[in-house]
Amino acid sequence: MSARGNARTNGNLPQTKICQFKLVLLGDMAVGKSSLVLRFVKGQFDEFQETTIGAAFLAQSVCLDDTTVKFEIWDTAGQERYHSLAPMYYRGAQAAIVVFDITKPETFERAKAWVKELQRQASPNIVIALAGNKSDLADKRLVEYEEAQTYAEDTGLLFMETSAKTAMNVNELFLAIAKKMPKTDTQNPTHAARHRGVNLQDPDAQSSRSCCGN
Amino acid sequence: MKRLDDEPTKSGNRTSLSDQLPNGDSVTQRSPVALLQGLRLCQGAWNPGSPWDRQGAHAALWGRPPGSFLVVSDSSSQNKLLCVSVDDQAKKVQDFPIIHTGSAQRLNTSHLAFSDLLQLVIFYTLSRDVLPLCLSVPSWVCGLTEQPEHLVSPLGPKAWLCPSSDLPSDTMSPGTPDTQDTVMCTIQLTAANGALCFINPLYLQEHGDDWLTHSSVSTNLNNRPFSKRERRLSTARAWSGAGLKKRTESVEDSSATLDSSAGSLVQNPVSPMTPTGVVLRRASSSSISDPQKRVSADSIGSPVPQSPHRVSWVEDKLWMNPPAPSSLLHPPCLEFDSLSMSSIDEEPDPEPSVSPSNVQNSPRLQLADKVKNRLSAVGQALGGLMSPQKRLSKRVQEMSERKGNPFAEALRGFVEQTLKTRDVCSVTSTEMLQEVRSSLTALRETLYDSVEIQIIIDSLGDVPDFELDTMLEHALHKVALKPLYSHLYECMKTARQQDGSLQRLQVNQHTLVGRSLEELEGTAGAGVPDAAMLEKIQQRWATMHQQYSPQKKVELLLKVCKNIYHSMTVNAKPGAVFGADDFLPCLTWVLLRSDVVTLQIDTDYMMELLDPSQLQGEGGYYLTSLYASLFYISSFRSRLATRQLSAEAQKSLSQWHRRRTLHCNQSRRSRNRRTIRRHRSGERVEEDSEEVNASASKQRDGDGAHAGDVTETLQSLTESSREEKEEEQNGRSED
Repeated sequence: MSARGNARTNGNLPQTKICQFKLVLLGDMAVGKSSLVLRFVKGQFDEFQETTIGAAFLAQSVCLDDTTVKFEIWDTAGQERYHSLAPMYYRGAQAAIVVFDITKPETFERAKAWVKELQRQASPNIVIALAGNKSDLADKRLVEYEEAQTYAEDTGLLFMETSAKTAMNVNELFLAIAKKMPKTDTQNPTHAARHRGVNLQDPDAQSSRSCCGN
Repeated sequence: MKRLDDEPTKSGNRTSLSDQLPNGDSVTQRSPVALLQGLRLCQGAWNPGSPWDRQGAHAALWGRPPGSFLVVSDSSSQNKLLCVSVDDQAKKVQDFPIIHTGSAQRLNTSHLAFSDLLQLVIFYTLSRDVLPLCLSVPSWVCGLTEQPEHLVSPLGPKAWLCPSSDLPSDTMSPGTPDTQDTVMCTIQLTAANGALCFINPLYLQEHGDDWLTHSSVSTNLNNRPFSKRERRLSTARAWSGAGLKKRTESVEDSSATLDSSAGSLVQNPVSPMTPTGVVLRRASSSSISDPQKRVSADSIGSPVPQSPHRVSWVEDKLWMNPPAPSSLLHPPCLEFDSLSMSSIDEEPDPEPSVSPSNVQNSPRLQLADKVKNRLSAVGQALGGLMSPQKRLSKRVQEMSERKGNPFAEALRGFVEQTLKTRDVCSVTSTEMLQEVRSSLTALRETLYDSVEIQIIIDSLGDVPDFELDTMLEHALHKVALKPLYSHLYECMKTARQQDGSLQRLQVNQHTLVGRSLEELEGTAGAGVPDAAMLEKIQQRWATMHQQYSPQKKVELLLKVCKNIYHSMTVNAKPGAVFGADDFLPCLTWVLLRSDVVTLQIDTDYMMELLDPSQLQGEGGYYLTSLYASLFYISSFRSRLATRQLSAEAQKSLSQWHRRRTLHCNQSRRSRNRRTIRRHRSGERVEEDSEEVNASASKQRDGDGAHAGDVTETLQSLTESSREEKEEEQNGRSED
């Protein structure tokens, strides 16, 4: 009965799950959103890197034990005037990184506003990470680590200070997000379409497949 | 389109062929092209004229090394005879009559037909087929390239067969095929990187192209480990990605003249007088059309398929350089479908990020790479010739024209119904497009339920469902959207004119067009397209508008975005990174100089008609950006400046959001239906989570009628009176 399923060969498929997530980047202009992501994407193994036409949309995978977590990273314009367009971008996102610049307090305030907006309007289970970028400029620091850390704890966010320049905590941040993502990702409708084909590689799913394939 | 064998009298072509061969002396020896060349130059030696007959040939071949051969006229019939020394010990010479059927020639015991004798002979030097052994060619033949007239014309059969003519039995012995030099496979195909492509149009005519997609790559993969990526190249080239593009370019260029799809190739075979490749035919059983056979041959890594259609793939692996004369070596009638995103790279584009493995740029490749590249060339050629997309599209087209077919009936009903909505004013264009979208989904389900489509899908092997969806969508667009899209444009335009949004867009365009990139808050350092690039972009927009398929539109949109990135980068500091902060203002700048009305129509068309799965990924991102940018223009208020959007615009956004989320759910439900067929237990899990999701989205959206208002209110919280409004909204929600 399930002719479509029968035609598939599983022999050569990896035994790892592949989960794909949409991650949106928010934050004021020039806080280093793109640099942060580019550092992450370029620093990873090339084999997981997907060629894209520009840095506003990037895709990158990270490996966690038995799971490959693929991020589709949607950058947003940080300018005030484009603020109202952001919901179009974070619609359906399962993860977000809100970036601020530790040398510019106003970007921290703006980040808080983004977090608030996300928690109110984005997908209910969205994983939000706060990134205090430009940590290499410690001598110009105007946002104290503790302040941001306390805020993140209170708000239930992942928090790290990062430096796109030195790569400090960049991979760690994405790894931390990847670990926090639900690995049986079926709850997001916009995501499921692409995901379902991959899900079949789930070793757990294979047993059920083989028994009803006949 | 050129033939592999130019007329022997045209010496000019010979020189050009040899000139274009990139090989050094050491590697020329055994290359198929050199062999072809050499054999052509000395045809008089192995195919002597009048006095020579069967007796003479037998006498000359007597005791010669196995595989030595002559082709002579058979005095007892009109046919030619291939006389082959099959055993030098027993002094045995065998005859194999060559039969002319029309303009094709074949051995009478084989069904592999060739357009001329030369091609027949070279094939049998490479592959045994029905012969007891491969034909053997003196090694000096491969060196015959220079001044052929002087060198070759005196050569006769004596010289051809002379034992002293340096015939090293170890490399030439046909009885013990040199496995290092030849890779036996099901298809003789060496496309973009310069080996020979043997495709038989007559064969395609008779048997269609299905067999090619299956057995071809799988056998050849037996010889070595392969990755999934390579395997995908064979069956799913359409998704093989941008990086592979460069290798196919040369093939694509020349095949551009041949617009016929693989499908129409089957219907209108190339005239036997003009094939490029050797025409191969081989006895085939009646089971060709049996889908079970195809499926059985499909499993990757299985032993050599027992298919009766097996032909051979031979290539010269010593070819280390990328061969230049690809124009001489084109497989016939390739058409690469342009579904692939890789078509984005069709022009020379200076951006470095595009092609991670550009073969043309690497002068010497490792053998492993080369084999891999060759494999992908095969995959690409096959993908082009018999792309699964083409097969699906063709089948869907056929089904749509068949009277009484449930799909055809449903389709006709849908088209007629949609065309009727012209005069119904109460139906908004959005509603109409929603109708169209759900009809497309329903039609796609009908296709999935059809046995004919199932057979094709089964034969494709390991293709993720979302790719199948995309392929079926694509096939569907041709039959369902092509007859409708101008009508849909008209309705959309009318509706948007009636609600004033197009006028607003144009007025704001007029207001904003004078603004520089800086005034649009573009970042310093990012350039904008110059006049020439802008012109190019306008052309792309125009082409985009002409596409009826939303997928194709997205592909063109991506090309435009790529052009914009290029303009941003071209005068920038090296190493500058341009993200959305830079891209969105640039896109807006471009849109202000474009036909925003048409773009708005196209954007709506894509946003509403794309399959939900395609609203993700890169295409989804840049479509979102286009939508956002147009939205920014149409909602621009010069005095309120920055963040505020009109309530009306926000409402439309939130409605769209909800609508498409609904579609996703709808689509997932239908998908679950299919999943049920496949595995029941896995389906239950999905259903549960869907319920969770449904309730979650209900929570989010609030109750039906208020939903729009709530979201609208939420959106406007960015204004100054944020706190106040938030309280108000919270109060409303609690009520």
